[in-house]
Amino acid sequence: MLGRAWGSMMTAALEYFQFVLAPQMLVGLVLGVAVILVALGLTIIFGLLDVINMSHGEFYALGAFIALALASIGLPFWLLLLLVPLMMLPVGYIVERGLIQRVFHSGERHVTTLLLTFGLGLVMEDAFRLAFGPNPHKPATPIAGAIDVFGVFLPLYRLFLIAGGAVIVALVALVVYRTRLGAMVRAAAFDRHMAASLGVPVQHVYAGAFAFGVALAGLAGVLLAPIYSVFPTMGRDFILMAFAVVIVGGMGSIAGVIVAGLLLTQVQAISSLYISPVWSDPIVFGIMVIMLMVRPQGLFGRLGHG
Amino acid sequence: MADALTRSMRASHVLTAVLVVAALIFAAIGAAIDDTFYLRLGTEALIFGGLALSVDILLGYTGLLSLGQALYFGLGAYLSALVLMMTPSFWAAMGATLMAAIVVGAIGGFIANRVRGVYFALITFGMAQIVAKVVYNTRALGASDGLIGVPVINVNFGIASISTASPVGFFLFTLAFIVVLYALAAYLLDTPFGRLLIALKANERRVPFLGYSTVTPRLTAYIIAAVIAALSGALYPMLRGFVSPELLFFSTSGNAVITVVIGGVGTLVGALYGGILLTVLKSVVGSYTEQHLIVIGLLFIGAVIFLPRGLMGIARPTVERWLGGKVVP
Repeated sequence: MLGRAWGSMMTAALEYFQFVLAPQMLVGLVLGVAVILVALGLTIIFGLLDVINMSHGEFYALGAFIALALASIGLPFWLLLLLVPLMMLPVGYIVERGLIQRVFHSGERHVTTLLLTFGLGLVMEDAFRLAFGPNPHKPATPIAGAIDVFGVFLPLYRLFLIAGGAVIVALVALVVYRTRLGAMVRAAAFDRHMAASLGVPVQHVYAGAFAFGVALAGLAGVLLAPIYSVFPTMGRDFILMAFAVVIVGGMGSIAGVIVAGLLLTQVQAISSLYISPVWSDPIVFGIMVIMLMVRPQGLFGRLGHG
Repeated sequence: MADALTRSMRASHVLTAVLVVAALIFAAIGAAIDDTFYLRLGTEALIFGGLALSVDILLGYTGLLSLGQALYFGLGAYLSALVLMMTPSFWAAMGATLMAAIVVGAIGGFIANRVRGVYFALITFGMAQIVAKVVYNTRALGASDGLIGVPVINVNFGIASISTASPVGFFLFTLAFIVVLYALAAYLLDTPFGRLLIALKANERRVPFLGYSTVTPRLTAYIIAAVIAALSGALYPMLRGFVSPELLFFSTSGNAVITVVIGGVGTLVGALYGGILLTVLKSVVGSYTEQHLIVIGLLFIGAVIFLPRGLMGIARPTVERWLGGKVVP
């Protein structure tokens, strides 16, 4: 009798997991991977240059808009995945050398670079509106079809996004932690003068890291455009979440971005089962503020300091 | 003999006097041609100048970049609208706003002042974002529509009263109000307390060696800034007759920062000139093209790179030279 009650409770719990919790967690996972891709560039730029890139969301949008323009002249999506980040590299390099370096050595670097990139973001956002109009564009989904996961209807493209995102994150971590280039970057982040005197071309490493972070944002733009559409303010909505992830994870920490990215989007996804989804933003920012209060350096240390 | 800091503050006073004279001429012309639109726009510019003033107290004097000053501006606007809808009394609205700003400012200051530098900017940003979203989701506060139907009131001074519906009357009243806020801030920042803030901005680690606490002045500055932002915000529903959650959004905080940087950080009067300049730009450029953000953004980038002291960085040293004495570099 008792065993039977226990059994039916287990079945109910399993069903709850399968039909309520798991689908929501999968939705959260897709968002999580998306946010991690955007936050990754943000955290690398902060970890190395000590710059809060307020225009990061606009670079994410720039990637999506370039992809949109190139797709309209017939280039296939798979080529764009490679081409757009490559095109973003020189853009990022020039922005770092031409704009950020101009105020990089002022006394209040944090504030001035933050203000500069904030202004840049405003200009870019309005330029998108000028060039592409204010309305959203929805690119065709590159992979059609869907499969059943745990009885959840999951479009194949989202599955690809989760897998592709994991590969990209792994590649970035591999480059930063296991290659000579990555060692140079970490050395420059840890002590720029020492790195410079050991022959690391610090200026190029800085500009290169900024370009790399921006290219990652552009790549995220290409990948996410088929899901979230392309419109001038697309970066603004997304970057807030990315900021929360970077802060909770620890500014400059790659591991932190992954952990916090998955954590915060799961909190968002699961909490929206019980309370209205409109409250998920206040919850995420609440976690961010509490984190800043009790542990401003975040869950993990920063690049080159761990 | 006044020292260099007092002298630059006097130069700011002179520039404020110039602004007041110009505003009076503007009001006289507006009244003569029976204008409403431009006087209302001018009033709005002054109100947002008041918000920018609060950003400058933090950024220019204490060295703290607040990306969430809209929190207090919106607090003042919403509270003033709520009070006015219950009882149409200017003083009740202002009294309630003052009290609330001190309490909320103390709480916000306690939270934000646990961290420094870039983390301070992010925590103020986060707090404003939370409040904005909560207001946006709260039906009792009008949610995404905001509060509409704030009644026209008479500001009673006992001997005379000014209707908020009168374009020139309310413009002059707002001018006086903002100048009082400016004078209050300027007075406080020229006292030893203000010098302590400047010392904190210059080198926080040395201040304790001189026997001063760093916590109290920082918190006090934060609360003063909150009060000034909230009192400026409280004027908004009197001017427009409504409040909307946009007042709490990041764009409001961001605009205030742009205003201060273009006007001149650490000059106080720069915030007022910046507020007027930005409003003029928006309406002039906005009449040609919708893309006025490009112009403002480029101007802002230019100011950050080439004019770190803003427009007042050019104007104020000149005035200081007239006033005599050496110019602070």
